[in-house]
Amino acid sequence: MSVGQSPLRHDAAAKTDGSIEYAGDTVPAGALQAVVVFSGRAHARMLLMSTDSALAVPGVVDIITAADAPVNEYGLTMRDQPALVGVDHTGAAAVDAAVSRWEADQIAVVIAETRAAATAGAAAIEVEWEDLPLVDNIDAALAPKAPLVHPENGLDTNAYHHLRIRKGDPDFGFALAYAVIDEVYEVPHQEHAYLQPEAGTAYIDNEGRVTIEIGGQWTSEDREQVAHVLGLPEDRVRIIYKAIGGAFGGKEDMSIQIALGLAAMRLAERGEHRPIHCRWSREESIVGHHKRHRGRIRIRLGATHDGTITALEADVDLDAGAYNYTSNKVLGNAHVSVAGAYRIPHARIDSRAIYTTTVPGGAFRGFGGPQGHFAIESAVNRLAAELGIDPVEMRLRNALVDGDDGITQTVMPEGVSMREVITACSLQAELDEALPDPEPFSPIASLPSATTSLRRGRGFAAGFKNIGFSFGFPERCEAEIVLNGNPNDETPTSAELFHGGAEVGQGAHLAMRQMASDATGVSLDDVHGHFSDTATSGDPGSASASRLTFMAGNSILGAAEEAEKAWREGDRPARGFFRYTPPPTEALDPETGTGAPNFCYGYMAQCIEVTVDVDTGHIRVDRVTSTHDVGKAINPALVRGQIEGAVVQAHGYAISEDLQLADGFITNPRFSSYLIPGIGDIPLQVDSQILEFADPLGPFGARGVAEMPFITYTPALTAAVHDATGLWFNTFPLTPSRVLGGLQAAEE
Amino acid sequence: MEVSMSVNGDTQTSDVEPRTLLVHHIRDTLGLTGTNIGCDTSSCGACTIHVNGESVKSCTMLAVQADGTEITTIEGLAGDDGELHPMQAAFMECHGLQCGYCTPGMVMAASSLVAENPEGLDETAVRQGLEGNLCRCTGYHNIVKAVLAVGDTA
Ligand code: FES
Ligand code: FES
Repeated sequence: MSVGQSPLRHDAAAKTDGSIEYAGDTVPAGALQAVVVFSGRAHARMLLMSTDSALAVPGVVDIITAADAPVNEYGLTMRDQPALVGVDHTGAAAVDAAVSRWEADQIAVVIAETRAAATAGAAAIEVEWEDLPLVDNIDAALAPKAPLVHPENGLDTNAYHHLRIRKGDPDFGFALAYAVIDEVYEVPHQEHAYLQPEAGTAYIDNEGRVTIEIGGQWTSEDREQVAHVLGLPEDRVRIIYKAIGGAFGGKEDMSIQIALGLAAMRLAERGEHRPIHCRWSREESIVGHHKRHRGRIRIRLGATHDGTITALEADVDLDAGAYNYTSNKVLGNAHVSVAGAYRIPHARIDSRAIYTTTVPGGAFRGFGGPQGHFAIESAVNRLAAELGIDPVEMRLRNALVDGDDGITQTVMPEGVSMREVITACSLQAELDEALPDPEPFSPIASLPSATTSLRRGRGFAAGFKNIGFSFGFPERCEAEIVLNGNPNDETPTSAELFHGGAEVGQGAHLAMRQMASDATGVSLDDVHGHFSDTATSGDPGSASASRLTFMAGNSILGAAEEAEKAWREGDRPARGFFRYTPPPTEALDPETGTGAPNFCYGYMAQCIEVTVDVDTGHIRVDRVTSTHDVGKAINPALVRGQIEGAVVQAHGYAISEDLQLADGFITNPRFSSYLIPGIGDIPLQVDSQILEFADPLGPFGARGVAEMPFITYTPALTAAVHDATGLWFNTFPLTPSRVLGGLQAAEE
Repeated sequence: MEVSMSVNGDTQTSDVEPRTLLVHHIRDTLGLTGTNIGCDTSSCGACTIHVNGESVKSCTMLAVQADGTEITTIEGLAGDDGELHPMQAAFMECHGLQCGYCTPGMVMAASSLVAENPEGLDETAVRQGLEGNLCRCTGYHNIVKAVLAVGDTA
């Protein structure tokens, strides 16, 4: 048995000795270099573009513009974005391709002998713009007579996607309440900061396919989007993932794929067959790709004397930025998770995705869950404090159980473990023990340690996250298994697994091999993986939404069964292909929000202990207890890695990561000013508590885990800071200056 | 300009533009792509190598400044027989990596940290010593474990 064990990663040796090949490492000799040119305009109409001087720059080979895009539109869930903004375009697009709607709309791809020549060529492109009015935040976008970012969609508002929940009678529910809290929460942007910036190489392969070697999260979807713009059938485009230096949702949408694909296709047509290489600098990466959505959530929550929730009202507004990306889907998750994993008899929720002329919001670990949970979990903590009820008890009183309806008025998928998870977390965190006195600490090594200004506190939060894309999306995942052996062998001697699922660092390929090993009976060492090449593997669906272990596992189980059938019939090698489709989900009713949006959830709870220095505003996290029902840990070491990694990413979101925008431009697109946690900043202790309440649909019982430890961290942290200082923070990151400002304002 | 340096034991002489960063020289001219680039501001440490035995972020140096030095990159850390350096083995065994993009720089920084502290390291010293190396995946706990697994017994 391999499932449930923690064998070493098969890619670990190559990752420690430097031999692994990331996208962009293998630049073939003689490759051309590409630079993607951004508009540099938050909102403007292009009047004129001339590439004449740029083409005259020594070393410049060619320049790809909007005129080269057969279909000048793309988008993962809505095609609302031009591939290249330009005046001289083919016109085959539903969106006005002459308008730049954020600073990093792409306007050209300069191909040259060297990167320096390409950069010089990019600088020599001449463009004339007519500025359009800025719509650089949601208030500006919602103002009466606000300029429309996407007039072509026919709506008279920038709030282009609106979800509703109407359940029971909220007025009646609030009338039953003994206490009601009414708060507005602001959530900030977050940058993915995967350590490898975007890089890739494109060429025409020996079967004539436009081929792109890159890092992404979903091979087949990348192919679909590239093929759409190139005007090619999908089988004329090939996507290969090399090793991927992190993703976290930030590589789910297109960055340089389309630019590279267009360049390879057009240059080949013009007789230039050298491969084309492109890599983004950190600054290009931060400016050029989407972010976790910022937004504002107003919430009203009422409960009786004993803490029973009676009613909820919420308005969730997310800043989608210039283009949809996956905002409509992220909004769906925020919409459902703003009600928490609680029984709520009466509710009204209105959630909107709003276009602005700023960096698009999109997928990022948690996918709307962190925003929704920050609001509901903060509200529950606050209401518990007001009622004088223990926050754990308050949660246990209201937590969903099997057989309950969720907020969308359909029964929860079987396997609801919210209560068990809350209880386990509270025990593990030793909540009945008083916090010890603070240990001295000095966040800045040169300063003496503070002792008298330290305050300790503890906070709790809990929640859930769906597995998969949900809301009616046709989920699928394909796998192929080949069993090798001689005609008279009873059992196969080795197995080949063909799967498209992306290895973004999480260890998915090892987990898949482990599941294939158990499913076929072939020992792990003899299960060979062939991954993430659209020429050899089927549609895996995305490595996101905490779905890959669940979906890939089920596809592998199916493929193994098919292969075994063929084996028993005497086939050598014996092949099995399987396309797994989970139970269908439903889009929510547009008026009432009724529907069954999900087929599986993972449940989590976290307790955080902090020390706050009230003189400097610094927060040290002393201990995190992170409890997760993962159904079944296919590889416990990998699960712990997901928990520890997500906790630290969430720690950055909560405390230090502060993306700055001015007039629609990101002003700190650098690691020197956008501060992700370093090794000295992290929680001193993280206790990962793994629970295994098997999911009835999960492979070996597995649910998912990648996003869950991120989602509840911020509300647990702000509760701990409240416990330490008496202050509630409705926004973050809790930088020292924000904490100090709050403390000073409270004194006045 | 002509520069000459010993890289993983071999003398390498090449003609470089005066403005070429050492990290680009290593990756693009010498083809040693184990050394990674994660930022433009000397913030991430993905490019850490050893210059004359000390760990250096190779994006903070020009190739010409490395003229005459002895350089070790991640590809040169293992023994001649291919046996992994103890720090490489520890990162593997302690699950100190996920996407692995930070790993070469971490391993290079950590191996020199251990070498500089023959009396042994504790957790605080590891955290201070690796402050210049960012990891976005692991949350660092397993990295600390890996370094202590080697550093404690040094
Ligand atoms: S690339 Fe050298 S420190 Fe980031
Ligand atoms: S393992 Fe991905 S950045 Fe460290």
